[in-house]
Amino acid sequence: MSRAYRVLLRAFPRRVRREFGDDMAQMFDSQLAAARAAGESVIRIWVRAILDAVIHGGAERLSILRERRKNLARELRRWRWWMSVLKQDLRHALRLVVRQPGVTIVALLTLALGIGANTAIFSAVDAVLLRPLPYEEPDRLVMVWEKRQAEGVLDNVVAPADYVDWAKMNTTFESIAAYTPMTVDLTGVGEPVRLPAAAVSPAFFDVFRTRPELGRTFRAEEGVVGNQRVVILGHGLWQRMFGSDPSVIGRRLVLNGGSHEVVGVLPSTFEFADGTIELWAPLALEGVSQPLPRANHELFVYARMKPGVTLQQARADMDRVGAQLSEQYPQTNRRHGVWVMALRDQIAGPVQRGSEQSQSIRGGLLLLLGAVAFVLLIACVNVASLLLARAAGRRREMAVRAALGAGRARLVGQTLTESLVLGMLGGLAGLLVAYWGIQSLRQLTPEALPVLGLRRFGLDLRVLAFTFALSIATGLLFGLLPAWHLASQDLHNVLKDGTRTFGLVRRRLRLALVVGEIALASVLLVGAGLTLRSFQALLQAQPGFEPDGALTTLVTLPGRRYGTAETRLATFDQLEQRFASIAGVRAVGATSHLPLSGQDSRLGVTIEGRDAPTGSPTRAHPRAVTPEYFRAMGIQLLAGRAFTPADRAGTPLVGIVNDTMARRYWPGESPIGRRLVIGGTTASVDVIGIVADVRHWGLDSPVNPELYLPLAQQPVFGLTFVLSTDRDAAALTGSVREQLRAIDSDLPLSKVQTMKEVAAQSVASRRAAMLLLAILGVLALTLAASGIYGVMAHLVALRTAEIGVRMTLGAKPGAVMLLVLREGLVQAALGLTAGLGAAALIMRAFRARLFEISPADPLTFVAVTVILLTTAAAACLIPARRAMRVDPVEALRNT
Amino acid sequence: MRPRVSRAEIDAHLPLKPLMFEVLLALADGERHGWSLVRSVQQRGGFSRLMPGNFYRTLRTMLSDDLIETVNVRPPDDTDDERRRYFRLTALGTRVAAAEAQRLEAAVVEARAKRLLARTRG
Repeated sequence: MSRAYRVLLRAFPRRVRREFGDDMAQMFDSQLAAARAAGESVIRIWVRAILDAVIHGGAERLSILRERRKNLARELRRWRWWMSVLKQDLRHALRLVVRQPGVTIVALLTLALGIGANTAIFSAVDAVLLRPLPYEEPDRLVMVWEKRQAEGVLDNVVAPADYVDWAKMNTTFESIAAYTPMTVDLTGVGEPVRLPAAAVSPAFFDVFRTRPELGRTFRAEEGVVGNQRVVILGHGLWQRMFGSDPSVIGRRLVLNGGSHEVVGVLPSTFEFADGTIELWAPLALEGVSQPLPRANHELFVYARMKPGVTLQQARADMDRVGAQLSEQYPQTNRRHGVWVMALRDQIAGPVQRGSEQSQSIRGGLLLLLGAVAFVLLIACVNVASLLLARAAGRRREMAVRAALGAGRARLVGQTLTESLVLGMLGGLAGLLVAYWGIQSLRQLTPEALPVLGLRRFGLDLRVLAFTFALSIATGLLFGLLPAWHLASQDLHNVLKDGTRTFGLVRRRLRLALVVGEIALASVLLVGAGLTLRSFQALLQAQPGFEPDGALTTLVTLPGRRYGTAETRLATFDQLEQRFASIAGVRAVGATSHLPLSGQDSRLGVTIEGRDAPTGSPTRAHPRAVTPEYFRAMGIQLLAGRAFTPADRAGTPLVGIVNDTMARRYWPGESPIGRRLVIGGTTASVDVIGIVADVRHWGLDSPVNPELYLPLAQQPVFGLTFVLSTDRDAAALTGSVREQLRAIDSDLPLSKVQTMKEVAAQSVASRRAAMLLLAILGVLALTLAASGIYGVMAHLVALRTAEIGVRMTLGAKPGAVMLLVLREGLVQAALGLTAGLGAAALIMRAFRARLFEISPADPLTFVAVTVILLTTAAAACLIPARRAMRVDPVEALRNT
Repeated sequence: MRPRVSRAEIDAHLPLKPLMFEVLLALADGERHGWSLVRSVQQRGGFSRLMPGNFYRTLRTMLSDDLIETVNVRPPDDTDDERRRYFRLTALGTRVAAAEAQRLEAAVVEARAKRLLARTRG
């Protein structure tokens, strides 16, 4: 029966059913049973139950509705009340902002600097580290590298034959493509120009899911030798050289002397790690007459994982492929595996030193973010201190409000509203600072850095949201202290005694703020100082060559017209002579790999008379050079002889090793007269000399074994000429261009730089980091100084009466001044001690970012101490002099 | 400490509906569950046709008026169904019941004085 009654129960609201439904059903059952026992009519009971349910269920439902309406009304009333309070507080806060312009301006300036600096750095952090990569389903994108476990190298570039096998054997990639950067000479469209370009497998744009703006991307058959005479233009090149002409599709361009058809134009939205690439050509690996090389490593491989495939699965799959290839080709692949890396984690793009670079960029950005956070904290401390001072002047106002019935919560709420208003206004002003900061950051960013996102940061919605949140957080942060202070005060006594005494607690609090501020500033200054000293050491590092008075230019001879070694050598020789004839040029040499330029290559070598290595393999970085190269670059010959024109094709192969190679591969003996065999060949090279180490990989990077070979025996296509002069190297550019034209008017002049510029570029990111940290350090110092000044000036103002008494009792003005100075300096010393201690701990973590400087560099620590104490003393001096000039009579009269 | 109950608070509930008064009376003996309350009320007569909807709506009103409260712990001697919910008087409920009883008593005295009611002996 109870089930039938339960249907009736539906007349009641659910809340009632849940609460009493069981009881009611039970009650009804009992009633029914009792009625039956008494011989009453069951139907009558049911009729009563139905009426009961309809009447009382309806009533319950009505009452719940009424209750809801009442609640809503109450909420509305409360909300209205809050709004009115907020409006009132806001009006009050804005009035304060206007009424005390001095306080407002100082606070806003401080906040604008703090928030603006944070916004600017955040915009870069967001663009580089936080935002998703600008590709479709970026989480499926990976880079595939050759893994050399024994050497600790996980991201070696890939041999073409290996890439082709990977593409065939893998089961986890939807698409896979190889990429290799190159340069092409474009002739026939205005002046001949050399353009950074890339050769990519036809599937490259499928991997990134890039759709062209015009035309098409590459077709699979264009990866076959003979079909690769097509090219895709980057958006920038299309705009710049072809005036955004849509009819460019189908046009033929002369690239490196050969005709290529334009088949597509990339959209402006396409971004690639190496943002300099302007032309894309197919990489033809099929239909090659000779087998593809397995020992030449030159390709960067990108792939898109199939949907649902995890990075682990892709790694396992490629491990299997790598193991199979090792077995199949033990000679070349014995020690090689395959490593799959999420593109997201790679961040940096396809430049040999990419991963290292990106690590340093990620670390550098986070370091800067930490530094600006410190600046903001100092700014907060300053503003909090300012507000505390203002609160002191407003104690009576607060007390009167409290006496008139304002609750403590209400007063605290009002104080916080004021801080929030200040914070928001500071944020607005900060946006201006950020705008300017982002512009300067962009200029500071080295252009060639292969980091996706570093070229696209700015004030966008995400950054604005960050600034908004930061302004609120900042407002709360610096507002909490005055609010807490207000809450902990006995306001009623303020009215009662009516004095202007300065609470001991407040005084201590403000002094503590000064200490904290100086501690923060000193940490930042130590960081900036160490970076500065590192950079200084870096600039003083001996590069192993003479960067002064050297002009460099890259000349690449297109293979189509300079196919044979003889023509190339003859042309290079002619160029060298012509360059040497330029007035003021002392020596001219040329190399295939210019130091600090990022150019590099690597060979396996076998040292004759030395057992095949078990641990680290013997490798050397080969450079083809002309005989005069060492002299032109100022590279010192340590032993043996330099190359001569007699070392040419047909004569015994000779080589010169650098000092590192000599000591590593012939420890304790002279390599001169010894021989080595270049990997993959049978050619044996006589070592004829040793030259000093050159910091090829960066002024702060270790030196590897280098093997110099005479150009005449290694006729490469591209050479960088070095012209050394006693005059201004840059002034030679015009003459260099003339001489190049005289030889071949289709050869473009490219990469004309003084060696000094090359060196400066190689340290550009360090320079940027150093500059930024130095700016932040100065900012922190200025803020800290203004903070100390503010507090000390206020303390002196409050102590005027006391000073008056002291002077009446015979204290000398000088003693009074010392009193104030001492108080300020004691706080500074306390803060400095804490800050230097913290800095010593924190800087240890940045050891790797420092160059030849210890994280506990005494000079830095001493300098920071001197700078901060001097600044603190200077900041105290004005208040101290004011104290000295207090007129005792005036002071006493005014109390 | 017993919460203080003001006179005004008590007066706000007076006069009580008969069913409410009966419930308070029944609970004056101690905690009870719903069905036992119903029986106790019916035993005193007058509510023989009491139906669940009416009864429990009254209980809910009394709960929200704070005259009675539910008890989480069942009396140890209770062997009844576990589902049952127990009710007991609140301080307010006790005072309201007493006030209502006084009011009724006064009415009875007046009724007697006006000879509406036969004077009982003793």
